[in-house]
Amino acid sequence: MTLNVLVQALLNGFGLAMAYVLVALGLTLIFSILEIINFAHGEFYMFGAFVTYLAFTQVKAPFVLALLAAIVVVGLAGGVAERLVFRHLRGKTLNAFIVSLGLLWVMQAVAQIIFGIQDKSVPSAFSGVLRLGGVFISIERFAVIVCATLLIVALYAFLEWTRVGRAMRAAAQDADGAALQGVNIELISALGFALGCALAGASGALLAPVLSVSPWMGALPVVKAFIIIILGGMGSLPGAVLGGLILGVVEGVGTLFFSSAAVNMLGFLMVIAILVLRPRGLVGGA
Amino acid sequence: MLLELAGVSRRFGGLAAVADLSMTVAEGAIHGLIGPNGAGKSTVFNLVSGVLPVSAGAIRFRQAPITGLTPAEICRRGIARTFQATTVFREYTVRQNLLVAAQPRVNDGTLAALFRLRDYREREAAAVARTGELVSTLHLDLIADRMVAGLPHRDQKALSVGMALATGATLLLLDEPLAGLTLAETREVMDLLRTVRAGGITVLLVEHDMRAVMDLCDRITVLDHGTRIAEGTPREIQTDPAVIEAYLGAEA
Amino acid sequence: MARSTFLGPAVTLALVAAVGVALPVLTQDSYHLDVATTVAMNLLLTMSLRLQLNTGQVNMAHISFMGIAAYASALAVTRLGLSFWIALPLAPLVAAAFAVPIGLVALRLSGPYYFLVTFAFSEVVRLVFNNFFVGLLGGASGLVDIPAPSPLLGLTFTDKPSQYWLMLMLFLLGAVVLVRLDYSRFGLLSGAIRQSELLAATLGVGVLRVKLTAFVIGAVWAGVAGAFFAHSHHVLHSSDFGLEPMVLLVAYTVIGGVGSVWGPIVGTILLTFTSEMLRELRAYETLVYGLVLILTMLFVPDGLVSIPGRLRRAWQRRRAGRADAMGVGVAA
Repeated sequence: MTLNVLVQALLNGFGLAMAYVLVALGLTLIFSILEIINFAHGEFYMFGAFVTYLAFTQVKAPFVLALLAAIVVVGLAGGVAERLVFRHLRGKTLNAFIVSLGLLWVMQAVAQIIFGIQDKSVPSAFSGVLRLGGVFISIERFAVIVCATLLIVALYAFLEWTRVGRAMRAAAQDADGAALQGVNIELISALGFALGCALAGASGALLAPVLSVSPWMGALPVVKAFIIIILGGMGSLPGAVLGGLILGVVEGVGTLFFSSAAVNMLGFLMVIAILVLRPRGLVGGA
Repeated sequence: MLLELAGVSRRFGGLAAVADLSMTVAEGAIHGLIGPNGAGKSTVFNLVSGVLPVSAGAIRFRQAPITGLTPAEICRRGIARTFQATTVFREYTVRQNLLVAAQPRVNDGTLAALFRLRDYREREAAAVARTGELVSTLHLDLIADRMVAGLPHRDQKALSVGMALATGATLLLLDEPLAGLTLAETREVMDLLRTVRAGGITVLLVEHDMRAVMDLCDRITVLDHGTRIAEGTPREIQTDPAVIEAYLGAEA
Repeated sequence: MARSTFLGPAVTLALVAAVGVALPVLTQDSYHLDVATTVAMNLLLTMSLRLQLNTGQVNMAHISFMGIAAYASALAVTRLGLSFWIALPLAPLVAAAFAVPIGLVALRLSGPYYFLVTFAFSEVVRLVFNNFFVGLLGGASGLVDIPAPSPLLGLTFTDKPSQYWLMLMLFLLGAVVLVRLDYSRFGLLSGAIRQSELLAATLGVGVLRVKLTAFVIGAVWAGVAGAFFAHSHHVLHSSDFGLEPMVLLVAYTVIGGVGSVWGPIVGTILLTFTSEMLRELRAYETLVYGLVLILTMLFVPDGLVSIPGRLRRAWQRRRAGRADAMGVGVAA
């Protein structure tokens, strides 16, 4: 077990983990503002991947444009979904879960009908491999890490320094209190949901060239996202980042020693442990 | 003294919702708990009924400590409370609501439920009988089998008091029982509370309707910013300068 | 106790039983019988899930208990040589044995956290079925060659009609128990907890105890379904007890209506019917299914079984309104 092997494993896991952190951030943002668990969140990720697929294959769009297209289109879709469906369900976990399940099926079916059931591959905008000391990373994956990091930083800046962003944070902590202080909860809910979905879409766009694109590709990331936000604390954005890092390390290193099934199992056992011992997560506040 | 709070505090982050509060409630009285908004009155209820844990201090009921007990355990000791918001089970009928509260506290045995053991049946019958009595006492006969969700405010309030009574409690904590009622309805509920007191049950109530409080209560405790600023008879409270300054001055 | 008599539900159960008995007489089609058998099994699963949903808990591990009992029964018969008729009552007890510790851990959590921890448990169980103890459980290929129930009292259970009768009997037994429970103090307190756990607790209800009872009894009946499943399908695979069948169960139950013990029956039958009708349409089936879920939750949030009640109350309000206008009092 050389250091190189270890670092290589970590690096491999890291790329995926960062993309999953984006999905997790979106999920936790939606949970904190609307108090619902959006089971269809993975489908917005899938939607982003398909937008990118179309952008590359139909329009030959450059990488950045494809990414932007995914963010905007999926964000809009999220906003529409919130206005049409989810706004009536804030706080009603069970009903929201069923609705998100319905939405999941609708989106998967639409993707299937439009694109068929075959996996699609999206051409990579980057080729080549980077060498850092004794380890290698494909430039594509490196780009994923860089873009994901930039998006996370942008999100942080938005929430910290813009009026809308701060209103969103206030609503996430205490919707009723924020409403009393003049925050337009309806608007913030819609924007928050849209932003959450946009993040998932961005993640899908980033990973589309790395993994293959199919109507069912959202299932795995959403499960990872749930693990991440439970580890970090539901509703906590820094928690999502921390949770993602932990999961990335555990999975990256874990696959060196255990089968992938055991690594999966480990993720769920961590979830159970956290929920039992410290339900608010490692970072989560009250 | 039926209920005693000794040096009770409830801190949350840096804020103290209740700070070093000591007060007593005498048995058989209607005791008012008043104070400006945010004074900590609902928090006191939450602490006494076990919904929130105390940060410091002790609460005693009939000389036995109840700090740290769960809400259900405290109910079994004989303290029942109402809430401002969700006070009733909206999908159930009036009768069903009372039945939930009237359930014997001994066990929730399901095998007994399945096989209808005699002991279980006797206790069931007792609960049903008690429910029937309360329906009459509260004049809810006409609506006893109506679903609560459609009922007017006054009936829901009366029902929530009835549910507290159905638990067999000897101390009722009533959170704004007169809120949202018309003048006539307020009179009705006040008479109901006097009937309750006549039955030997102690009432501690939080209220904003000052006329009702002065009319109804035997003793009043005034809170402001989580501490007690006055306690005494209605006459004493009305003339207490600290109270007037904190609160009644704005009432006019 | 929650209602005045048991007559209404007894009649309803008798009607359901009558339909169940009439079915194989009306249709000899093997495919239809197969669907009917699956429906009866799903009814048992959704009614036992509803027992827990009525305490406000969405137990995503319900299907895991079905799976635990299924594998337990299959192994008892194939490895230990026990008769199916011994395994049938034992397997649910195995499920219950797992349910007690899992319930004690999970039920301390509220709402979404309970949902997530039971989901995590169900994934752990599924991963065990799929990847661990492969020599015993069959791993990714599954557990195969599970025999049909051995003959009992001269009756054989190797063909579809006889398996249908077996499942029907098991379902009716479960339905009677679960309906009886609902019409008892337990049912009254469960519904109270669902409507407001805080209010119920301050009224002295032993919330954790009620929830745990619902959880374990739910696991027992899921286990009965599981034992039947193992010996009628003859093959067990981890995907039979994964997320997809679980969410279907939740959907059937919630669409029907969690507030009523009959809700799951309405939901399961209607949605299975819808699914059969749409079967040819493949992707469009999923699309329509999804739309049905969304629309039902938006417009009938208390489930389909609440529609008659809503119509009745709306009608009563109209009568009261008209009577008021005429200056006449109306009995409630």
